[in-house]
Amino acid sequence: MDYFTHSWLPYIYLYGVGGIFFFSGVYLVWKTGAVDLKKPHHRTWMKVFFLGYAWFMIVHGILTILALQ
Amino acid sequence: MENFHNIGTSTDWVVMVVYFLAIMLFGTYFGRYTKNTSDFFFGGRRFSWWLITMSIVATGVGSHSFVKYSAKGFEHGLSSSMTYLNDWFFVPFFMFGWLPIIVYSKVRSIPEYFEKRFNPSARFLATILLLFYMIGYIGIGFLTLGKAVIPMLPESFYIFGSVVDVTLMRAIIVIAIITGAYITFGGQTAVIFTDLLQGFILLFAGFLLFMLGISYLGGGQEFWGLLPTTWKLPLADFNKPSSFNFVGIFWQDAVAGSVGFLFMNQGLLMRFMACKNVNEGRKAATINILFVLPLSAIVVGNAGWLGKAMSVMDPSIVSPNTSPDEIFVVVASIVTSPGIFGFIMAALTAALMSTVDTLINATAAIFVNDVYRPIMRYLKKAYSNDKQKDKEELYAARVTSMVITAAGVLSVLAFIQFPTVYEAHGYFHSTLTPPLVVAIFLGVFWKRFTPAGVITTFLGGVVLMLLGARFPEIYISPFDHGIEMNPNRPYSYIRAFYNLIVCVGVGVFVTMTTFIQKSLVTLIKKNNNSNTVMMCLVIFASISFILAILGSGSFQHILPLFIIILVPIIVTYYGNYDEELSTNGLTIYSISNAKEAFKGSKLNEKIGEKVELNFHLSNHEKDEIMCSKNDLLKLGAEVGDLVYLSDKRKWLGGLKSIHSTFGKSHNEDGVVYLNKDQIDNGLFEENKILIAEKEM
Repeated sequence: MDYFTHSWLPYIYLYGVGGIFFFSGVYLVWKTGAVDLKKPHHRTWMKVFFLGYAWFMIVHGILTILALQ
Repeated sequence: MENFHNIGTSTDWVVMVVYFLAIMLFGTYFGRYTKNTSDFFFGGRRFSWWLITMSIVATGVGSHSFVKYSAKGFEHGLSSSMTYLNDWFFVPFFMFGWLPIIVYSKVRSIPEYFEKRFNPSARFLATILLLFYMIGYIGIGFLTLGKAVIPMLPESFYIFGSVVDVTLMRAIIVIAIITGAYITFGGQTAVIFTDLLQGFILLFAGFLLFMLGISYLGGGQEFWGLLPTTWKLPLADFNKPSSFNFVGIFWQDAVAGSVGFLFMNQGLLMRFMACKNVNEGRKAATINILFVLPLSAIVVGNAGWLGKAMSVMDPSIVSPNTSPDEIFVVVASIVTSPGIFGFIMAALTAALMSTVDTLINATAAIFVNDVYRPIMRYLKKAYSNDKQKDKEELYAARVTSMVITAAGVLSVLAFIQFPTVYEAHGYFHSTLTPPLVVAIFLGVFWKRFTPAGVITTFLGGVVLMLLGARFPEIYISPFDHGIEMNPNRPYSYIRAFYNLIVCVGVGVFVTMTTFIQKSLVTLIKKNNNSNTVMMCLVIFASISFILAILGSGSFQHILPLFIIILVPIIVTYYGNYDEELSTNGLTIYSISNAKEAFKGSKLNEKIGEKVELNFHLSNHEKDEIMCSKNDLLKLGAEVGDLVYLSDKRKWLGGLKSIHSTFGKSHNEDGVVYLNKDQIDNGLFEENKILIAEKEM
């Protein structure tokens, strides 16, 4: 049985369309100076943003692979 | 559909009653820390991130509820957890946009932001929409609570010789009375501390149930093996069925819901505002979304997954026809022993009550701030002093809490028709959040967004959303991503996409055509009969709006056009908007200005360290603290900088603390001079060491 519409299609849509929102937000807070990369704790927050995005991608990816095995 | 009654034993009821009494006593104890409206609503802006993180657990878990996620877990599997793992996309916007703005601009409610950023009319409309949203949310909470306890209650009972049927509405009314009790007399500090306790208990109870269930099924491998493949997948099917599909829920929850939850949920915002500073609020949000929500997804959904595995293993244990909203109670009663079942049910219902309490407290904050105070100002009410004003406002807040509780019960009637709480909640979010979400978002992140834009987004957006609700096959189907339309509840989730598009479309169109509105207004003002012309336009726009709301006749399709054209002209004509002045410190482009305004002087960005201090009583009157010159150097602080002073014991989480300003320095290192009010407000104890840190 083909589970594409139940597994990888929603995954791509989630991190594709969701990613557009996420990266727009990161760009906006950087471009407007709300995040000032000269400040050490702001640099840490920037890393946290990207790691958080990767964290959820990995969690959903692993769960999908486990389910399809 | 199989429904249940009388699940549980008398031991379970005893455990539940004891649990509730303990929680209420706990809340009442912390209610004594409520001294004024700031404490009642915001807990005095003093708490550490970990305390707020844990107190949010009960709110998040409660509002997203064991009942509805277990139901979807039973029907569809692990994809019930989707909505707990999709909140990260808007975090940058929230942490470095909305959160610092609401804290530094010192707004006490979302509508107040609209007045500062736009005008009083925008505040008025935002208040109406927000009150609808919050009361609806309370209604969903009560509905969930009712559905959770009904399986435990008998079908009827005797009282004074007559039979009383136990119905959902009757159960909800009794629950509402209990729920309203401690919020009315406790306030935000009481809610934060009861939620803190319940956060831990909830996670424990949820994992306890999961482990007992796994053990009942024979182990983790057996559990996993019993689930069909589609039940194991973490995301739902892209566009089917209409009652639970990925793409609809993405737009309803990941977009409208996440922005609504982070930007619009006054209850949650008040928690972040109760943090000692913005950075602590960021930490609380991060830990909550990255780690606590995924854990909560397991806690709230596992009963449904276990129920499905049990029904595959032996349908006589759990029938596949079990009512989904009752699966949590059914599974809990199967895998636990008497007493443990009572504890789990108490944890669930108490958490739901916490959510509802938070929402009631938040709605009361909106009412006092955006309705009561403006009315008192209009009536020119005089107060003998600030204390009397605060006392009267606190009384108004408590009475309002009771009225809102009653309104929440009534709003249940709007959601009772949905087959599951999940769908009721989804429909509610799709319908009520888009106009406010779009207005807040464009207001914060788009400097050009005008009062005409925001007011037309509210009015035009609502009218277009109503049209979509009445004619989904015409308006929503182009956005449906292939989801089949259920004629009984058309496009429960994907309607959020249409609603967001029309609200954004209206806001952007009106703002981009500002120059046309200004030209038209200039033309009208040149006319000798300008007042008459404007009066006619106001009447015409009002009639168009009323007819569009009533929805009669085929011409209703063109009414939004009149509203979108006329409202901006009316707002521009009567309004007086200075973009530079109105956006200063209120958009993401000027957060440093907001910070300076908050402090009241130039920022001192020097990095210092925390300093331990003993406090001595002083008789100075100003709200300042006096430290030594050397301590100021260590702190990296100067006279006039803001300071946060707290009890050294970290486990207190900031309960005993104050915010103040550095006053003139002295020469006694390790000593801070405080006046009596500061010692009282900070709840500081003699001989206990304090920690000072520069806030900004």
